[in-house]
Amino acid sequence: MIYVHQIAAVSPQRDLLVETIDEVNESVNNILKVVEPPYEGIPLSILRRMGKAVRMGVGAALPLIKNTTVPLNGIVIGTANGGMEDCIKFLNQVIEFEEGTLTPTNFVQSTPNAIAAQLSLLSSNKGYNITHVNRGLAFENALLDVWMLLKENPSHTYLLGGVEEISSYNYNIDHLANWFKDEEVSNKKLYHSTSKGTLSGEGAAMFIVNNDPQDAIAKIDALHLMHAEDVSEVKSQLIHFLNKHLGKGELVDVFLSGESGDIRFVSFFQNCEHHMKDSTIARFKHLTGDFATVSALSLNIACQVVNKNILPDHLIKINRHKHSVNTVLIYNLHKGVQHSFMLVRK
Amino acid sequence: MENEELKHKLKEQIIKYLNLLEKTPADIKDDQVLFGEELGLDSIDSVELIVLLEREYGIKIKDPKEGRKVLVDVNTMADYIKEHRTR
Amino acid sequence: MSRIVVTGIGVITALGDSAAANRAALKDGQCGISFLELFPSRYSETLRFGEVKISNEQLKQKFDITDKGVTRTSLLAIHAFEEAIEDSGLTKEQLASYDTALIGANTVGGMCLTDELYHDANNDTEGSEYISSYDIGSVNLYMQKRYNIKGIGNTINTACSSSANAIMYGARLIQHGLAQRAIVGGADSLAKFTINGFNSLHILSPEICRPFDIDRQGLNLGEGAAFLVLEKEEEVISKKPYVVLSGYCNASDAFHPSSLSDEGDGPYLAMQGAVQFAGLNTSDIDFVNAHGTGTVNNDEVESKAMSRLFETVPAFSSTKSNTGHTLGASGAVEAVYSILSLKHQELYPSLQFETAIESTGLKPLQEYIQQPVQHVMSNSFGFGGNCSSLIFSRA
Repeated sequence: MIYVHQIAAVSPQRDLLVETIDEVNESVNNILKVVEPPYEGIPLSILRRMGKAVRMGVGAALPLIKNTTVPLNGIVIGTANGGMEDCIKFLNQVIEFEEGTLTPTNFVQSTPNAIAAQLSLLSSNKGYNITHVNRGLAFENALLDVWMLLKENPSHTYLLGGVEEISSYNYNIDHLANWFKDEEVSNKKLYHSTSKGTLSGEGAAMFIVNNDPQDAIAKIDALHLMHAEDVSEVKSQLIHFLNKHLGKGELVDVFLSGESGDIRFVSFFQNCEHHMKDSTIARFKHLTGDFATVSALSLNIACQVVNKNILPDHLIKINRHKHSVNTVLIYNLHKGVQHSFMLVRK
Repeated sequence: MENEELKHKLKEQIIKYLNLLEKTPADIKDDQVLFGEELGLDSIDSVELIVLLEREYGIKIKDPKEGRKVLVDVNTMADYIKEHRTR
Repeated sequence: MSRIVVTGIGVITALGDSAAANRAALKDGQCGISFLELFPSRYSETLRFGEVKISNEQLKQKFDITDKGVTRTSLLAIHAFEEAIEDSGLTKEQLASYDTALIGANTVGGMCLTDELYHDANNDTEGSEYISSYDIGSVNLYMQKRYNIKGIGNTINTACSSSANAIMYGARLIQHGLAQRAIVGGADSLAKFTINGFNSLHILSPEICRPFDIDRQGLNLGEGAAFLVLEKEEEVISKKPYVVLSGYCNASDAFHPSSLSDEGDGPYLAMQGAVQFAGLNTSDIDFVNAHGTGTVNNDEVESKAMSRLFETVPAFSSTKSNTGHTLGASGAVEAVYSILSLKHQELYPSLQFETAIESTGLKPLQEYIQQPVQHVMSNSFGFGGNCSSLIFSRA
């Protein structure tokens, strides 16, 4: 069990829990790019070197670190690719200048651990510092790491986050690998699409977490991650997860599904939904697009939903109306094989 | 005049290579120490400036000590460029 | 808390393709650093590297790999992984059970294929066979699929300390009951990306590296992989474990993106934390396998941090003078070397050292010796200030 005390996100939406569909920012050429904040807390001398992933991650996290009254004991980040734009910029230099004299900034900024490292530098944090990069379960492993850390050090407080940037380069690579749609589809019509592929997105979500229930926004009660290619296996894992973590007669109020508009994986979501007969079924990828650590943004949404007790209509697929939302179960799937469940409570 | 032009150009290039946000050539004085407090430059920037000299002026600096002598301020850089440029 | 033991090891580096071959070379004081024979680079004949002299085709043949898109990083990882699981006697069923975790680490992923990635990323191809193999996570994902590993899978990137953190993470998963056994380690292959990256920072040595020498000029990049099998001591009574993983700690230097602080706070905190976790006194440490890259910055800072922590600095050496710096693999490679030291009660020397750094006066071990060894510390410090130390103890 982990208590969430502060949340922040840099996402394609001004606010991830945007109230009406009219206020939802629309995708352009199948990409949902983030709305970048002014980054007031970052010194210009440092901001000038940051790639987008580092900028988003630091931009979302720094205000939280500044607002935290208790000392932070460590920084735990999940990102599959980190600074992809810098990475390919450096690679382009390697090829174009034939391994001649190259500028190091892109290289230093491109390592995935640059986000957590820059945060430790800017906040003078000498505690635990790590970056998990296991593609679609990078953020889930960061969460699992924090869960273990809080059992090992019950009085500690950690910064947990997930970050991914979309650059034209990784868009090209993932598009060539058939992960994005070929025809243009608006995010507002994502779930009507019957073709392969999804929309591309990016974002950063940060959380201050510890074991203290007082004044918490939400609590993360359980997490399960798995590698599976078989629909029935995922369903049996879901049943096992619910039996293990729900009280007798307890129901999940909202099943927040990572449905992505990719026809190839619809059956995974349908099977899980069939099992969640008493829950309202909701979706979020029309707000974020899809990327390896999108589950970090879904966790931000779930925290807000239980905290504010609001579930905007445009998220709802099947409404089994409840007076209040106390429990949200997030199910995400990345590229057909990496699955996760996260149980969030008020 | 030629000298002033070179220095102005050089300042523009420094701003571009180091991505000095919100700085214009007018903000960098000819004799302002590059690696002082005000500009906030560090060791990675010195490597970037060595790359600038190679790509823009065809000057290769191999010896770090030589680099330290050249990368003092805009004046020292411009003087060195005038003497050693190959393009 | 249960004791976590190591029941299997596997390693491949420029020194050799097994733990036994690596040990023989370490005892002999062999250096695997040379000009490049297999990997094409502008620097093939001017800079020296710890290159594994086995081609991708040979590696694929050895493991009967016909899948498309398998990169050299994955091939090296598989080589070390197979040795480790065989050494530990893990069955296919154990590999595929839900309580076996696979925790990997690397820094280049499939970016060893610089030219293919260039064309795929710049959209001037139909997509090469490697289109899904560039990211760091691709190595672990391929292994999970190949060996049908259903337990927790993860990949860690903390630059040059990546696989030390993978070892820590695996041990903690077992301690928390999230896995019964964890196969942990890392891999990296030579890549134009890292060669030119380190070169652009002017920290590649033009000569063979000289860790802790006053005239050291930088590091040599290497490649390789190593994996360890971690299990709970009480659950493997039929096996004879190599060692106990008795301590570990991760700390941040919080100083600069690509160099360590003068006083070495991060290295100091990592070493101190590991000693404390193991419930030892600093005087109990018999030997330190240092990070010792051979860069001006690392070796001086690491020396200072060791002098701060230890009343008398124990014997230490850097095996990077044998293997080159294998980046994401180095933490696991050097963990295996520490384990070999404990198992065989012997210490391996540092090569190329002549004169101590003036400010610290510390000299690494320069000859192979046999002596009682109870506790060995292994250090790994990475860019971004990511510092980790591990302690292995006699079982």
